[in-house]
Amino acid sequence: MSMTVSRRSVLAGATALPFLRLADVRAATPGTLTFGLSSYPPSIQPWLNTGTAAATVKLMVYRGLTGFAPDGSLRGELAESWAPEGTTAWLFKLRDATFQNGEKVTSADVKWTIEQVSGEKSTAYLRSQMQSIAGIETPDDKTVRFLMKEPVAILPTLLANFHMPIISRVSDPKMPVGAGPFMITAQERGVSIDLEAFSNYYKPGLPRLKAIRAVAYADENLRVAALQAGDVDLIEYVPWQSMETIGKDPKLVLDAVDGPYMYLIFNATKPPFNDARVRKAVAHAIKREEIVKAAFFGRGSGLAHLPIPKASEFFNPEYEDGWRYDPALAKKLLAEAGHSDGFNCSLLSTAQYGMHKDSAEVIQQNVAAIGIKAELNLPDWATRVTVGNKGQYDMAVMGDAADSNDPDGIAKAIDGSLSPSYTRSFGLNIDKMAALIKAGRAEFDAAKRKTVYKELEALAIEQVPMVGLAWRSQGYAMQNRVSGFKNLPGALTFYSGTTFEDVSVG
Amino acid sequence: MLGYALTRVAVALGLIWAVVTLVFLFIHLVPGDPAELLLAQGGVAPDPAAVAELRDKLGLDQPILAQYLSHVGGLLKGDLGSSLLDDHPIAEEIALRLPRTLELIFAAGLIATLFGVPLGTLAGLRAGGVVDRILAAATGLGLSIPVFVVGTIAILIFAQKLRLVPAGGYVPFSRDPAQHLLLLLMPATTIAVGLGAVMLRVTRSSVLEVLERDYVRAAHAKGLTPRRIVLHHVVRNALIPVVTVLALHMGSLLGGTVLVEFVFNWPGLSGELVRAVEQRDYPEVIGIVLVISVALVITNLVVDLLYAVIDPRVRHG
Repeated sequence: MSMTVSRRSVLAGATALPFLRLADVRAATPGTLTFGLSSYPPSIQPWLNTGTAAATVKLMVYRGLTGFAPDGSLRGELAESWAPEGTTAWLFKLRDATFQNGEKVTSADVKWTIEQVSGEKSTAYLRSQMQSIAGIETPDDKTVRFLMKEPVAILPTLLANFHMPIISRVSDPKMPVGAGPFMITAQERGVSIDLEAFSNYYKPGLPRLKAIRAVAYADENLRVAALQAGDVDLIEYVPWQSMETIGKDPKLVLDAVDGPYMYLIFNATKPPFNDARVRKAVAHAIKREEIVKAAFFGRGSGLAHLPIPKASEFFNPEYEDGWRYDPALAKKLLAEAGHSDGFNCSLLSTAQYGMHKDSAEVIQQNVAAIGIKAELNLPDWATRVTVGNKGQYDMAVMGDAADSNDPDGIAKAIDGSLSPSYTRSFGLNIDKMAALIKAGRAEFDAAKRKTVYKELEALAIEQVPMVGLAWRSQGYAMQNRVSGFKNLPGALTFYSGTTFEDVSVG
Repeated sequence: MLGYALTRVAVALGLIWAVVTLVFLFIHLVPGDPAELLLAQGGVAPDPAAVAELRDKLGLDQPILAQYLSHVGGLLKGDLGSSLLDDHPIAEEIALRLPRTLELIFAAGLIATLFGVPLGTLAGLRAGGVVDRILAAATGLGLSIPVFVVGTIAILIFAQKLRLVPAGGYVPFSRDPAQHLLLLLMPATTIAVGLGAVMLRVTRSSVLEVLERDYVRAAHAKGLTPRRIVLHHVVRNALIPVVTVLALHMGSLLGGTVLVEFVFNWPGLSGELVRAVEQRDYPEVIGIVLVISVALVITNLVVDLLYAVIDPRVRHG
């Protein structure tokens, strides 16, 4: 029997190809979640800050003494309870927990971890904060006492940081072992990380998933396409331009919160921005809704005060419009400072990230309206960091998220007593502000802390160590069969990885 | 001949040294500190003492000449060094990624050949006709649309709408051969659009040229069938310049697939080079550029030596 293939049959077959829809291109495995990361973590070293993608993976693998619950409240993780002893000591009680190497979590591991982080050779993110611990006592396996050099009311919050996990002291330095809900089983560098549930995780019944496959999709459009095509179950960093489409898709769920923020900083080592009136003039010249529209497709909100969210108990409604758009006031302030004819200056940002570039372009137009001719400098991000650290700019656009929802989390953006950094104004050390930040950190009484931070914000509105521009929406999106994942509120959005332990795929 | 070969090898080694030195100098001249960047991910201000400690650990606080000599010394011993980010051996990384990029290029070359040569032959045989004009318009389109546009449209249609293929990504062939080939299809085809258009045009002009040759007229005079003349006399002879053009284009693609790798999340060598430059991962940048330049220099060296074998005037020249 012979079979003839005619040109007509080939053409007919080709025409039919698009209708030959594959039921599911992705090979879904029950109990396994495929997570679209925004980038492959450059390193998953537990105490280094190597970005938010790394932090998310760390939240799958490690746990600290404390952590954040889905509602954003502080909760115990490896610590069952904690309490201050006077103002210069903290007592932590550990729960029964096991590291992924089978060793019990003990006070000796906690002591060893803090010593590694605060050590002289340490490159840890919280090195200087942990150096405020003068000594660690371990009366028994379940008790740790931190003796502080000075009062630190926010120690439990600092210990909840995803860069502060407790590591088994007997683990290989190249393969640190934690006590988190998932274990890394395989890594394809630059491509993916495979994780399996840790069966001895200290929370009964968790994690719900059997495994997670974290796949890096650096291109945000491809990340969204992979979600829409069903290749992945959940993605982070949903691009703002895609939020509306995803929100309307009945198969998908968008979970977005206003958490990170954009702001403007100054070089105060030279005129004209060494004058608070000039900085304040700029603050009143910004049309913040234009930034939200241009940089974030309307996904965010204006920020005309210090980045303390409305939901925070430290929010001060009287300063909500402290830097409101008021061009007449801006011009008046410039005139008072001797710049009634305006001036020329540089505006540093980066072309590598659209939100930074777009924000800078709006600011350039806004300040031009009050006579300030700002010349844009848009290098790549690496150069932006170096130039910023050296103070080679007049104004600079920055984007960041607070370390936590505690107001101390924004100290890194306003505390000029800290070393020069591209994240805060250059050479702008306001003694009273540094003193208030220190006082807030040391104050254990909640009511008194509120008073301190209210005074701090009043001072900031006048002295303008930074100019708030916009809150930006930070989104996760997932298939509607995924349950248990929660985008944590406000600045804690990047801690959402902690909820992977509750996630299941229906 | 031996003298000529030794001269060419010496020139090739000099070229490689020059490339390594220039890349080393340029990447160090560009602002940006790898230690700062590694500890300043996500817009945070790292502790300056931690940055200083990391710079010391990575040897970045050494004078640039000392860093250069140390690096070249390592290269001479066959050691490409380790990534500044995670201490991963660079040779291992290149060994992992180079085959993926080569696979992408060869698959693109295959698809471009499968479409470009037959359609180019058809266009040449029907020069001036409707088919030729349609193909001329199509090649114009294929050459003028940027690869990232082609790639994005392909994802939109074939992954998002029709769900025929995954949107992008990579699975090793050893783990899942079918999925691996499925993931290779779209990026390879995207590169093949432009490459195929070039091949179609070169094939068409080559066919037109061959059709005018005396041996083709002689074949007609001998009474051979048109099919036999086209397949055995026209296409075979027309393919010589086509193969040359294909080889040249595929060589240049070694460092030029970056956009396609990015759009389709294909973890090849070009994408890694861009990432290394962004992160100022000096040893990795130098290692990848070294491998690409060695590959190109060796290709040219082989061609030079072959010319000398084919044409004695070159080696005496």
